[in-house]
Amino acid sequence: MPLTFIDIERQKTWRIAAFFLVLIAIYLAAILFITAPLGIIGRASPRFWLGAVLVSLVAAGIHFWFSASEAVDSVRRTLDAQPPDPQDEVHRVFLNVIEEVHVVTGRKRTIQSAVIPSQSMNALAVADLRGNALIAITEGLLSRLSRPQVEAVVAHEAHHVLSGDCLETTIAASLFGTLSAALDRLNSLSDRRSSATAGAGLAWLLVKLGYLLNLFISREREYRADAAAVRMTRNPLALAEALHLLSRSWRGAGFIGSGLEMLCIVNPQATTLDETEGFVADLLSTHPPIRKRIGILLAMARVDIGDLDRRADRAEAEARTPAPGQQPLYHAMSPKQEWQGPFTVQELAALAWLSPLTWISTGGSSSADRAWKDPLLGPIFAARLASGNERIETGLTCPVCRQPLVTASYEGTQIAQCSFCAGSLVEMKKLPRIIARTGQDHLCTQRINALARTTLENNLSRRIYRAASRVQGTAIQRIPCPKCTHPMLRGFYSENYLVEVDRCSSCGVMWFDQDELEMLQCMIANRLEPAVAVPTVPPDGDAPGGVP
Amino acid sequence: MIGWILLGIIVLAVLWTAAIYNGLIASRNDVQGSWKQIDVQLKRRHDLIPNLVSTVKGAMEFEQDTLEKVMNARARAVSAAGIPAKAEAENMLTQALGRLFAVVENYPQLKSNQNITQLQEELTTTENRISFARQLYNDLVANYRTKLQVFPNNIVSSIFNFKTEEYFAAEEAARTAPAVNLSLKGK
Repeated sequence: MPLTFIDIERQKTWRIAAFFLVLIAIYLAAILFITAPLGIIGRASPRFWLGAVLVSLVAAGIHFWFSASEAVDSVRRTLDAQPPDPQDEVHRVFLNVIEEVHVVTGRKRTIQSAVIPSQSMNALAVADLRGNALIAITEGLLSRLSRPQVEAVVAHEAHHVLSGDCLETTIAASLFGTLSAALDRLNSLSDRRSSATAGAGLAWLLVKLGYLLNLFISREREYRADAAAVRMTRNPLALAEALHLLSRSWRGAGFIGSGLEMLCIVNPQATTLDETEGFVADLLSTHPPIRKRIGILLAMARVDIGDLDRRADRAEAEARTPAPGQQPLYHAMSPKQEWQGPFTVQELAALAWLSPLTWISTGGSSSADRAWKDPLLGPIFAARLASGNERIETGLTCPVCRQPLVTASYEGTQIAQCSFCAGSLVEMKKLPRIIARTGQDHLCTQRINALARTTLENNLSRRIYRAASRVQGTAIQRIPCPKCTHPMLRGFYSENYLVEVDRCSSCGVMWFDQDELEMLQCMIANRLEPAVAVPTVPPDGDAPGGVP
Repeated sequence: MIGWILLGIIVLAVLWTAAIYNGLIASRNDVQGSWKQIDVQLKRRHDLIPNLVSTVKGAMEFEQDTLEKVMNARARAVSAAGIPAKAEAENMLTQALGRLFAVVENYPQLKSNQNITQLQEELTTTENRISFARQLYNDLVANYRTKLQVFPNNIVSSIFNFKTEEYFAAEEAARTAPAVNLSLKGK
């Protein structure tokens, strides 16, 4: 077990070389058995053999190169991974942590970083023969981890990159994946010619052997990467918490394709095989049992795993049921001289028209007073003053009321907001992260939830009307895109989440009226979808789906 | 004949000495390079602190004492020379900053200020980088010291007068036992 990252670096060279030699030997043997039934063995001279070995070595080299030199780019393309946005609070943390890893390794190796726009929770590392290395984390995981937990996950992946695990896994997966696919095809072709099947069968056995060899060490590797992560961050608990969180969530099954599972921090497919121990499981499974990994980590921190389970249960239960009555509720007088409410403090803070002079009344009491007199509301105005200085005009105008749009911070990322009508312009690439960061506690209030339900019911009937109007040619009012001034396309966010939005696909932006963004987030968080299949007009063929 | 053998032994000895000498030089340069890394990160922290202090100053009228301590610790850290003195001054600065952030927790309007959360994140990452750079530096120093002291090398190193390098000592209980946090949005 190496002690430092310097030792890892030193050790990896001969390990990779040995691994390559074994792989090439198995690969050559497999090729040999495939070609054997063609009948050349019998009349081969030594010179022929020398030539054959040379040719197959060259072929193997070319195969290696093509299967492994583009791995980073191809993974990036498959998962649509984007580089982190330095303006974004959460992505900033990720970038900083990557930089910290560079410091601890003495900048021996540059590791690129990327964020996968998915709600699933997973992280993966890839490396290829050109020396590129990539650590990618899904938006869902990034937004649910605290800083120490992000550190632990990145350190785990960094160990995979630095120790050469990634390179080995990437190559083995791509190389033997192609070969076994070719063999399968050969087998199905050569069913009639019995002489070929024997050799191909042997070759198949060898390919599987090479694959198994790789799998066999992959469990061991995960333990080692966990250990390295702890050695770097000196915080076993953070990694245990992160793994525990992962074990209870959707890890991207169906999104992260097969062939990539060996690169992930936890297997996207939750299988019973992964969670068992013993020889067979060791041989066939790509990841060690999560509970065992957590157990080892917790033993370092002297915490009991049952304790962790109970705490997580409690935390989830608390997140589900917002405790009522804890916060005082307010009624406030709107500019139209109407009493509105009840609002919580956070909701009041979100009201654009709330000023220190607004009349408010607390909970049950019947007396009203100016807002500035309430001690609980002071921080709202203080925060507004503080953020007032740094309001940056985006140079865009609100498409509805022609006011300038200002940059606002929303769920840690920047969006353009109209301070008059509270509508917001969101870049489409930022939507996944906003949705991933939906905070149950403060965002999905009763008001927003009720609003979302009503909108859903209204829009269910409207959708039929909409489909009919398309046939009759009734004009739908369109607003101009703030960026390119072309009319925006109005439609529902998706078939399941019936919030009306305006999009401009050429600029890649979406306009949400007041509360619509919050409604969308709550609909997705609480799965507010059309419950029953609604009869739609046939030409569209858009049957409302059940669960996505 | 004997002359040739003697010449061969001398040539071998010279080559061997040169190899050891080069190895020692290489690891000494590694140590000095990683010290530069620490220096870069320390400077980064020194640059961030005045920013932080001026941002929180207005809201923290009653905490002038804490702020002054941070500024004083910074001034001492900037002017410190020599590795042991520097390590001690930096540890003092880390403690002063820790107290400042503990106090900031009591001011909700500061905690919600975006500028401050950004500065806090920058300082956190800098602290981490310092401790990681120190980890690397100490690893390399240990590596260098071993090379100096093992048997044949110690003769060469004493001939060419190689000096041992100092460790950069970490503060006591730099990373205390962390609190468990399992809520979905643990920040």
